[in-house]
Amino acid sequence: MSVLQRSRTSAGQGFSMRRYLANVDWILLVATMGLIGFGLAMIYSATHADPGLTTPTQYVRSQGLGLILGSLALIGLSLIDFSWFSRLGKYLYWVNVALLVLTLVIGSERMGARRWIALPFFDVQTSEIGKVLLIVALAAFLAEGVELRGSLRFVLKSVIYVALPIVLIFLQPDLGTALVFGAIFASMLLVWGARWPHLAILGGAAIGGMTLVLRVLPRTLGVELLKPYQTERLTVFLNPGQDTSGAAYQLTQSKIAVASGMFSGKGFMEGTQTHLNFLPAHHTDFIFSVIAEEFGFVGALVLLSLFLVVIWRAFRIAGSSKSLLGALIAAGVVGVLVFQVFVNVGMTLGIMPITGIPLPFVSFGSNSVMVFLILVGLLQSVHLHSRTALYGGRLKGDPYGQMAA
Amino acid sequence: MYLEPIRKRRSPGEDPSTRMRLAVLAVGVLLLFGVLVSRLWFLQILSGDEFTAQANNQRLRTVLVQAPRGVIYDRNLDPLVVNRAGLSVGILPMDLRSPEIVIPRLAAVLGIPEEDIRSKLDKAGQDKYRVVIIKEDVPENPVVSYLLEHSLEFPGVRVEKSYLREYPREALATHILGYVGEASTKDLEKEQFQTLKGGAVVGKDGVEAVYDSMLRGVDGTRTVEVDAAGVPKRMIQEIQPLPGSNLVLTIDNRLQAVAREALINAIKQARTDGFANSAAGVIVALDPRNGEVLAMTSHPDYDPSLWVGGISSEAYQALKDPQRHNPLFDRATKGLYPAASTFKPFVAATALRKNLIDWTQIYSDPGTFKRDGHVWRDWMPKGHGDVNLVEALAESCDVYFYNLGSKFYDQKGPVLQDGLREFGFGRRTGIDLPDEYAGQVPDSEWKKKNGKTDVDRIWKPGDDVNLAIGQGDLLVTPLQLAVAFAGIANGGDILVPRVARQITDSSGNVTKQFEAEVRSHVDFEAEDLDAIRRGLKMVTGDPTGTAYGAFRGFPIAVVGKTGTAEKKPGDDYAWFMGYAPANDPEILVVALIEQGGHGSSIAAPAVRKVLEAYFNTESSAPAQVDATE
Repeated sequence: MSVLQRSRTSAGQGFSMRRYLANVDWILLVATMGLIGFGLAMIYSATHADPGLTTPTQYVRSQGLGLILGSLALIGLSLIDFSWFSRLGKYLYWVNVALLVLTLVIGSERMGARRWIALPFFDVQTSEIGKVLLIVALAAFLAEGVELRGSLRFVLKSVIYVALPIVLIFLQPDLGTALVFGAIFASMLLVWGARWPHLAILGGAAIGGMTLVLRVLPRTLGVELLKPYQTERLTVFLNPGQDTSGAAYQLTQSKIAVASGMFSGKGFMEGTQTHLNFLPAHHTDFIFSVIAEEFGFVGALVLLSLFLVVIWRAFRIAGSSKSLLGALIAAGVVGVLVFQVFVNVGMTLGIMPITGIPLPFVSFGSNSVMVFLILVGLLQSVHLHSRTALYGGRLKGDPYGQMAA
Repeated sequence: MYLEPIRKRRSPGEDPSTRMRLAVLAVGVLLLFGVLVSRLWFLQILSGDEFTAQANNQRLRTVLVQAPRGVIYDRNLDPLVVNRAGLSVGILPMDLRSPEIVIPRLAAVLGIPEEDIRSKLDKAGQDKYRVVIIKEDVPENPVVSYLLEHSLEFPGVRVEKSYLREYPREALATHILGYVGEASTKDLEKEQFQTLKGGAVVGKDGVEAVYDSMLRGVDGTRTVEVDAAGVPKRMIQEIQPLPGSNLVLTIDNRLQAVAREALINAIKQARTDGFANSAAGVIVALDPRNGEVLAMTSHPDYDPSLWVGGISSEAYQALKDPQRHNPLFDRATKGLYPAASTFKPFVAATALRKNLIDWTQIYSDPGTFKRDGHVWRDWMPKGHGDVNLVEALAESCDVYFYNLGSKFYDQKGPVLQDGLREFGFGRRTGIDLPDEYAGQVPDSEWKKKNGKTDVDRIWKPGDDVNLAIGQGDLLVTPLQLAVAFAGIANGGDILVPRVARQITDSSGNVTKQFEAEVRSHVDFEAEDLDAIRRGLKMVTGDPTGTAYGAFRGFPIAVVGKTGTAEKKPGDDYAWFMGYAPANDPEILVVALIEQGGHGSSIAAPAVRKVLEAYFNTESSAPAQVDATE
């Protein structure tokens, strides 16, 4: 109450807490919190009995750090008018590139990949932060080139613009995140309004390139751009019966976990696949399998519905944005969300390759949860600053908010 | 503060092309979510049961809890086979990840070739959820403790408690007891083993095989929940095993030990006497009143604990090695020998029963028998002179029996053979031991089938002449001879010999008592039977008898017969059969020493040793017995 009272006194003289609170997209926030809460519960279920824990809530607490940082960033971003990014975009682009190069140079190597920059309390996965930076930079880049929507030349220029960070991530190597960047680009290009033939050319080139890397080059020229384990993980879901160890084992165990959950699941903390450790990476990449095992078809639908709510709000925000920049930012968020949900859940169900892409908001991983909270912050920024001016004078009308509603 | 002039430009929401693009994206999103939901439906709703079964299969381990096998006792409840707890190491194929690393590692720890492990896994077949035993009786230190401490390096490797056979009397009754082993694929096809699963332990030979179903008991099961590394987490269900029944044999361990020692000493004696090839033999002792086998030993034998924990292939080869006289082979029930002179009582009985002669008829033996230009010689070159049947038996007069054989030939048809078959020759005795041999009583039909040349296929007078002294193509097992002789001892009952006396439950209560079984009866005129017995009693009791020397000083009257069989190539085989007391027989003993020379000097003293032990008489046997026959 005191907050509201204070905000009332400051109304009309700059920042208005009342208007801020009245215009925040609460549905988006609640759905986000729902996903995070669901995720924390499942992380607890999956890890509380792991050997070597100092406390059963160790993983939950560790996730909490990302949660706090992410929430602060969310609030901070929602206070900033996203329009700033139209000028900041190109600097953020180079920040992104610099961080990715730095990662390759000073990043700590884990399991054969350099993805992290170690800080005293927090290891930063630069490609995760890179998702935010790419969305913002690319939105600014495309919004500025809005008049060149029909030009293939500009489209190709944007391809090169995106290709640089993608290649840097590919070199870590982190194929999954590289693909996420591709998905962000595709969704933003679509909403931006690139011509269908151009989109078709790019889509064809992407499919062709993938085939080349996975099949043609290794078989004809013996050129392996991917490490054998990467190829195996990418293709094993096509022939799951081939071997019972490694990637196929993970896949089989995940399918067993999901399917044995049946309609209503085995109950919270009762998943045998999870608790007897048949399910690998049960708190990270395969956390959806834990949900499906313990809460069944019903629980899986609840989770997917929460995602759909978030995505619906993102669409709504894109549509009601006061500028193309905001719409593109929201489209980028939709792209990263949908792609990661589909690829991650699809992987646990055996219909998508194993790419190590986490489930947004839910998978254990401070970087991931923090970045998705930042993305929600971006959405809130677009939302708030398209409906109302939080700073300076009060706007008389609120046409875009009206229209979108 | 930077603020875009929002009123001057249209919002993207108003821009129809952006709206359309957002709609396209939204349709794409819904499609993708639709794919996920249908896949979830397929997996969780349509295939849920199947995958639940898979989940249970890999988390639930049902292991067999071996039932302790029954104990085997001698007739006085002195144990011959007991159980001892042991540890075996096995592999659960389901949990065996990266076998290319684990198998060599395990092979090194167990000290066996990798190939052995692989072939055992291959043989186990498709059932991935059952433990395949790789090695039994693995020492706890250091092997098992090492495996348990390093269990993470051995995924899929299991240590299980098992019962192992232990033989407190070592080689005492090897061939009767038999041994146990893992059921082979062939075993599992047999009807008696149909309820068993691979890896089950079954009796392979001897009473272990014959009474397997009673000894085996019913295995229990224990179902535990295991994690992905195969580490048990909690017990789900336990069914206790039912221990097997115990078997009480008719064997008397004390007598068995005496028989075994007497046999070994007889072979030694034969070698001392110059029969250097003598290395094998049999002693069978049974109760002629009911067919109970009191002692039965075949030499060479071996310690059956060789089989415990799996026999090595070298040891197995050695057990079957003819150079070592095939210790695995039970000569009492499977050894086939010419009966030689021990056959004479049965030929005599047949001649009397078919009224070819009467016992008083005198036949003069000049030392040879001639017919159709052939000459047969008596073992005593100067002959036995005038003998009746009683004397002919006592002195083992060959010519008397050559003459009988010749008379049988003139009868046309298998008169002699039919009479011999009534005593059980040429057919299995029916003893409760596996794979007994039937032996053979040759006749014209047999020759027609088995003769190698045209001449050989004709039944000739010489065939009957040879058969009458237990030679020619005749083959008997020592046990057959004992059963037939028991018929003379008990007045004509051909009994089914037995080694099993009782079945008892785990608290020692008798659940089954085996009764004497008379298979057939041979009718005798009392006078005829008496004549035969008198002649055979003279064998040991009259100075003219062939075993007089061997039984001199023995306080109980023994009815017996010596035999010295020719089996070319090699030295003669020494036989003796005898029962006592003459008037009220309680025990009958048959001894055979392969290539041991004379029955009188080698086999008869061995039988005497057994009888002395049975009757608890002072050992008064002469150190050296002169060979007669």
